[in-house]
Amino acid sequence: MKQFNLGPVRHPAPATLDIVSVGEMTDATRAIRLSPDFDVETLGSALDHLDLIIVTFPIFRDGRGFTQARALREYFGFAGEIRAEGHLIPDQAQFLWTCGVDAVQLEDDTDTTPWLRALTLFPVTYQARLGLR
Amino acid sequence: MNAPVGLYQYQTADREFLASRIAEFEGQVARRLSGDLTEDEFKPLRLMNGLYLQLHAYMLRVAIPYGVLDSRQMRKLAHIARRYDRDYGHFTTRQNIQFNWIKLEETPEILRQLADVDMHAIQTSGNCIRNVTCDQFAGAAADELMDPRVHAEILRQWSTLHPEFTFLPRKFKIAISGSPQDRVAARFHDIGILARPGENGPLFRIFVGGGLGRTPLVGHELFDSVPEADLLMTLEAVLRVYNAYGRRDNIYKARIKILVQALGIEGYREAVRHELSRMDPSHYRLAPEVVAAIRARFAAPDLTASPDADAVLRRDRQANPAFDRWVRSNTLPHFAPGRIAVTVSIKPAGGIPGDATSDQLDRLADLADQFSFGELRITHLQNVVLAHVAQDRLYALWQVLNEIGLGDANNELIGDIVACPGLDYCALANARSIPIAQKLSARFADNALQEEIGKLRINISGCINACGHHHVGHIGLLGVDKRGEEFFQITLGGRDDDKSRTGDILGAALPEDDMVDAIARIVDRYLSVRERGEQFLDTLSRLGDAPFKEAAYETV
Amino acid sequence: MKRAIRIAAGEALVLTANRLLDGHIVWRDAEGAWNRSIAHAAILAPDTYESALDSATQSAQADGVVGVYEVVVRPGTIAEPVSVRERIRAFGPTVHPQFATELDA
Repeated sequence: MKQFNLGPVRHPAPATLDIVSVGEMTDATRAIRLSPDFDVETLGSALDHLDLIIVTFPIFRDGRGFTQARALREYFGFAGEIRAEGHLIPDQAQFLWTCGVDAVQLEDDTDTTPWLRALTLFPVTYQARLGLR
Repeated sequence: MNAPVGLYQYQTADREFLASRIAEFEGQVARRLSGDLTEDEFKPLRLMNGLYLQLHAYMLRVAIPYGVLDSRQMRKLAHIARRYDRDYGHFTTRQNIQFNWIKLEETPEILRQLADVDMHAIQTSGNCIRNVTCDQFAGAAADELMDPRVHAEILRQWSTLHPEFTFLPRKFKIAISGSPQDRVAARFHDIGILARPGENGPLFRIFVGGGLGRTPLVGHELFDSVPEADLLMTLEAVLRVYNAYGRRDNIYKARIKILVQALGIEGYREAVRHELSRMDPSHYRLAPEVVAAIRARFAAPDLTASPDADAVLRRDRQANPAFDRWVRSNTLPHFAPGRIAVTVSIKPAGGIPGDATSDQLDRLADLADQFSFGELRITHLQNVVLAHVAQDRLYALWQVLNEIGLGDANNELIGDIVACPGLDYCALANARSIPIAQKLSARFADNALQEEIGKLRINISGCINACGHHHVGHIGLLGVDKRGEEFFQITLGGRDDDKSRTGDILGAALPEDDMVDAIARIVDRYLSVRERGEQFLDTLSRLGDAPFKEAAYETV
Repeated sequence: MKRAIRIAAGEALVLTANRLLDGHIVWRDAEGAWNRSIAHAAILAPDTYESALDSATQSAQADGVVGVYEVVVRPGTIAEPVSVRERIRAFGPTVHPQFATELDA
């Protein structure tokens, strides 16, 4: 697998972190992987010592990860790295970035050209024009 | 700025956006052809550009935001029908137009042609926020409290390529009206919005969780008076709860109505309030200057009319009883003196509901230029509205409509049948909707008979997805498949106004062959038992469905 | 992905799909080529059609078709699908006779 950064990663997590599920989390945990049905509000103060949160997409049509990422950034001020894993397509690149995801995990042989192109296609969004965040 | 009347005038940023969107789609098509995208991956992407793979070919559904278009756009639709399709277009129950014989390889070119006149097919399908629908008499009806189109345009912009809500559990439909007469079926939408003016700006009454389809449910009021500044924030909160918690394990239980049903309206409201409590209002506030800037891109028509316009119309009506009948059925009072709003019936006797030829589309564009400031609206009952006609020119308009075969006086009468494309075109259908609509409208062709029968809406759906809105037809027909053969189930008593309810099933489904006669027997029975002044729904509620059931199954 | 299909005595199967580029309905002939007319469709026996379906599905991308599946027909000079839906696919919409599929195409 390789990591593709959707933009300048806000606070890059160290490369060697052990990633565990929420259920395996201890006080020493710095990186976790969320299932799409997980309610990020329940992380509470655990967020303070996390450097990396991975949101997962079982299939690209399952958009719950967008809402999780956005809630992490907006409601809980998470400043570490958010990474997306699973079945994603390049056409989602800008949506992921806007919702607060820094990077996606891709297969080693994935051509990143369509990902790069997708990030530059829409320089101005309607939401921004309406004055939304 | 030479803005078209009645709709948002595009600016450079809008046109650049459309160009990017088409470039994106061209890239997606190329990746599909090369095999980089599987059909499963490509399908949602093409659907979000309005492109279905239907029974015989691709079908392209073009958005007509809030149902309003101008004559140059209508002419472009005629051109697309002529050049890329088989010379006709089909108006849908969601104020869109569909072309049934489109080629994937020509679609980017068609989208470029549409973009030339500031049109697109974005989000007319897919599990995203669909094209926003609106009252077809917005900015014209005498009974209107507030013109909802500016806010409909704001909703269009807000929902277009929304970063968080483009991969929802299921499709999401929003309708908005500014009239106390709910002409948009607000209570049968995922979100229905009724706008009204308040002391400090517009207020929005928001319904959630309504819908037809497999599980017809009337929506619940979520909030009574959302101020303009909070409108988008509130909708974001509603969608966020749905995106996080809506079911994704079963396509038939994935709409928001099922989540609202599961949580209860109080539970859903609580969840929305919890979201709102965590949201930073400064990120979501709809600023008055943003609204004003969008409002400024709508041109207002000069509605001054000749002082004797109403007298001329009175005289014309007296002189011609057929015209008088058409005025009674197909017009609505306008708020401006001397003006009147016209519904052009796209339901000729024996015709296909909502189908118009390229020539008719062109002629409608001409009529819009001559009679209504170049502006047209598509209704969710598959008709066309010319909203601002001068009363002293109404007779001239009616004469031209008759020449082009669109002069039927059957608006909201039995000939004004709403039907989905059905099994003749749709890959999902179980039965053909159109042939029944054609036979019924031919059977009740006589406009005088239709007026005598009175308000009676027939809705026909070819399958449980209910695109023909059969649940809300006064008489609804639902096509079902019995071992590869077509049968229809009858429902009575549905309505989508402020007394919204779904119809009740009359009994066992009847074979396709027997349908038209069965409906005719129901209508005959109604005529024989109704009391003076009653419409069909009145008689039905007075007597119940027993006499109609007896009539429908008489020969079976 | 096998679907439960009902086949009565005397009935057989043909394979159908839509062409990727223009969406048109096509039918698979005995050589494995896709044709516009059902008149050219290879008639497959109920106990042997599965291997043809598998190979047609495997080569769908290369052949430029999508959504390959089987249709129950009554064999004859021109195979006639048993269901209304598939008759409409084979012969064209019933409400626009001018758009009927040309069977000798």
